[in-house]
Amino acid sequence: MLINFARLVANENMKVYYRVRTWVMLSLLLLFNAAMPAMLYWTNAPMDVWTVFTWTESFTIYLSAIFTVIIAADIVAGEFAGGTIKLLLIRPWSRGKILLSKFVSLCLFLLLCAAITAVAGITASLLLFSGNTGFANSSGGSSMDSSLLLLLTDTIQVFVISLIAFMLSTVFRSSGLAIGLSLLFLFTKDIFSFIFNPERFEWAKYLLFLHTDLSGYLKSPVGPWGVGLGFSITILVVYCLLFILISWMVFAKRDVEA
Amino acid sequence: MPNILSLVLIMYNVEIFMVHRQGRIDQMKQEPLVSLVGVTKKISSKVLVDNVTFDIMPGQIFGFLGPNGAGKTTTIRMMVGLMSITQGDIIIGGYSIRKNYEQAATQIGAIVENPEMYKYLSGYNNLKHFARMMKGITKARIDEVVELVGLGKRIHEKVSTYSLGMRQRLGVAQALLHRPKLLILDEPTNGLDPQGIRELRDYLRRLTQEEGTSVFVSSHLLSEMEQMCDTIGVIRHGKLIDIRRLRTAEGERMYEETAFTVNDVEAAAALLEDIQATARDHQLMVRGDQNMIADINARLVGAGLRVYAIQPVTRSLEDQFMEMTGGESVVD
Repeated sequence: MLINFARLVANENMKVYYRVRTWVMLSLLLLFNAAMPAMLYWTNAPMDVWTVFTWTESFTIYLSAIFTVIIAADIVAGEFAGGTIKLLLIRPWSRGKILLSKFVSLCLFLLLCAAITAVAGITASLLLFSGNTGFANSSGGSSMDSSLLLLLTDTIQVFVISLIAFMLSTVFRSSGLAIGLSLLFLFTKDIFSFIFNPERFEWAKYLLFLHTDLSGYLKSPVGPWGVGLGFSITILVVYCLLFILISWMVFAKRDVEA
Repeated sequence: MPNILSLVLIMYNVEIFMVHRQGRIDQMKQEPLVSLVGVTKKISSKVLVDNVTFDIMPGQIFGFLGPNGAGKTTTIRMMVGLMSITQGDIIIGGYSIRKNYEQAATQIGAIVENPEMYKYLSGYNNLKHFARMMKGITKARIDEVVELVGLGKRIHEKVSTYSLGMRQRLGVAQALLHRPKLLILDEPTNGLDPQGIRELRDYLRRLTQEEGTSVFVSSHLLSEMEQMCDTIGVIRHGKLIDIRRLRTAEGERMYEETAFTVNDVEAAAALLEDIQATARDHQLMVRGDQNMIADINARLVGAGLRVYAIQPVTRSLEDQFMEMTGGESVVD
């Protein structure tokens, strides 16, 4: 059973990695993770390895976000646009399992992006800045732990954004709309969390906007509006389950028409 | 008391049902592979398919004929589980498409409308993709199917470089991979040249005879269906208006009528009033099988009439349907 399901995931992976587009995106991600430390090296800035990696990661995570959102938006909507959804759904598999295989494939792509960032970014930083102590552990510097934790929290944030794209892709069958709306969320969430401030509205602390970026907890155990890490994680989990449930319900029930 | 009464009623009904069923089996000697039972599709208040019921026997080519928008594709989409069924049920090889979708779907291979494949993958990888979704398809089977549809070396090229005819072939290949008991083809001849249509026809005939596969094929082209199918169902405005057997189990064309050329047509018609023989074009037209034709001949000769010729008459389907629909064409 599990082995058979792995074959579905292998199919989804084949459809992702046999496209030129995917390799262009992964190459760009690799390039920028190597190029950022190089550019910082040319500026002769007195920085240590982990600060360089933190700076690099803070930039390349946006690339990861955009690329993962593109994959997430296309993985369901693309089948509808190409008409291949018909041949996919007439196989002896429930729609829930087919959707799940797409979701697993998406998660694997996100992990690959995070792995490329970690390996390429850290390797480039080490090569160019290994002798440099810089201002490690002083103000403004980063330790190994904090920079890796930042990668973790940023990856969680990208996961939530790409899950939104995945849901919109499933509901609207339009990859353009899914990409647009989910990236809009990523870039405007700070404005919305400013407007819907929990200091002004008690209910605002339950909004997703405030909790996607967990990196605040790296500096302080208490979140921006007095809530804790556990509270934020609970909110994230509830929203993610809700998005998955909506995607599943729409995908499983929908009539596939011309 | 009411409980016992209802139980008795249920048992009575079951018995009637069993008797009815048994009768049908005896009559046909075979269980149908596919049964559509009162299938209805409504979207909001619009009825797209209205109470459609028919069976498809193993090894039979069933043609589904109707103008565009009559409900052909909607029916097919319900048969393969792409659309939900508002009322009724579809049973495939004993499994309900509503309740046991996975078991029912295992037995179906289909092309729904155009065979849209993954353009950025090679033909071979497309087949590999669908092979992974079903049990027990070996690499040898994939090669065999590629050979069968005649794609040859081009199977390793990307689908985006294929012509429409090649995509059709690849579509047929993916539908046959798992040796389905039921092959569903929606407008399969669209985009095929006459040569391709002929090949497809011969191939479907072979498939039904050698592997016992049933084929369900939809089309709006009457003449094509007439050449291809054993049985034809006609759908109009969502309703099944006729089912007609065109060929015997051996693949021989069934004749609708037989014409007797006799010296006195009126006298012959009067003599055979009991079997509703009609006079037309100075000939006597009767319906019936071989034995009945022989009996009729004996009666005519016995009554002293002279029989010059006995000929089977095939009228084109188009004429028959024109008659049935009162001059309105069944196709567009």
